[in-house]
Amino acid sequence: MAALKESDLRLFVDSVTRYFQVTSRTPPQIAAAYLGTDSVPMHDLNGIVSFSGRFSGQVTVSLPAIAVRELLLMQRETDLSESNLLDAVGEIANTLAGNARQTLGNGLEISVPMTMRGRSGRPARVRQHPYVITFRWNTHPGLVCVDLDRVA
Amino acid sequence: MKLLIVDDSNVVRSRIARIVQRGALGPVTFVGLARNGQEALRAARQSPPDLVTMDLTMPGMDGLACIPELLALHPQASILVISALTDKSTAIKALRLGARGFLPKPFDDDALQLALLSLTARKA
Repeated sequence: MAALKESDLRLFVDSVTRYFQVTSRTPPQIAAAYLGTDSVPMHDLNGIVSFSGRFSGQVTVSLPAIAVRELLLMQRETDLSESNLLDAVGEIANTLAGNARQTLGNGLEISVPMTMRGRSGRPARVRQHPYVITFRWNTHPGLVCVDLDRVA
Repeated sequence: MKLLIVDDSNVVRSRIARIVQRGALGPVTFVGLARNGQEALRAARQSPPDLVTMDLTMPGMDGLACIPELLALHPQASILVISALTDKSTAIKALRLGARGFLPKPFDDDALQLALLSLTARKA
């Protein structure tokens, strides 16, 4: 496995910024971007997209339910059921993962999103230190965890 | 104008429908809100669409597999691909398969309206 550099992974900072700017007209404030250790603080709702092809790993988007609710309300969505909130966070993960192909190329295959409620049960890692981006959007905390490496 | 929306995300299907209903396309009839390519083809067989919005990454039949089959059924349909796969080769592939436009995700309301109007203006 050939490690991607931190500079390669910074594309996800731009992606998450663009996502919220475009869909809500309210950009997030990026708090930190760092190589994480074992404990990554997750929020209520998690969207996960797995990578395959010339790459391996996954990207996780984690947000509190209140943030996702507000995002949907800004988009004039009236269905605020849990399944729709999970769908929404899955779609954010799908967008970040798909957009990564613009930089990493079409050798990056992406899965359909999986969604998970709760703060525990992170998928198995490929990197010793995944790339973690923490941000605040509309006063709420969120994070993106990028666990991605090139398959040698 | 008969519109078929194809996306595995309920939130995205719902959002596209709302934007279209508020917009400048004129009266629109929704012939289907499909979660993947198979559902899209089933809906299109029942009611031929004029306009289709098509996601690419979907479970079961994905968008790139669905486009040629849908156009084989209804060559007059205008397909706008709306996808997070924003690499150039994917967009080219979709257009070569017969899609008439490509709108990258994330998109805002205006970008979607303009993309759909541009497809309908081309048909007129």
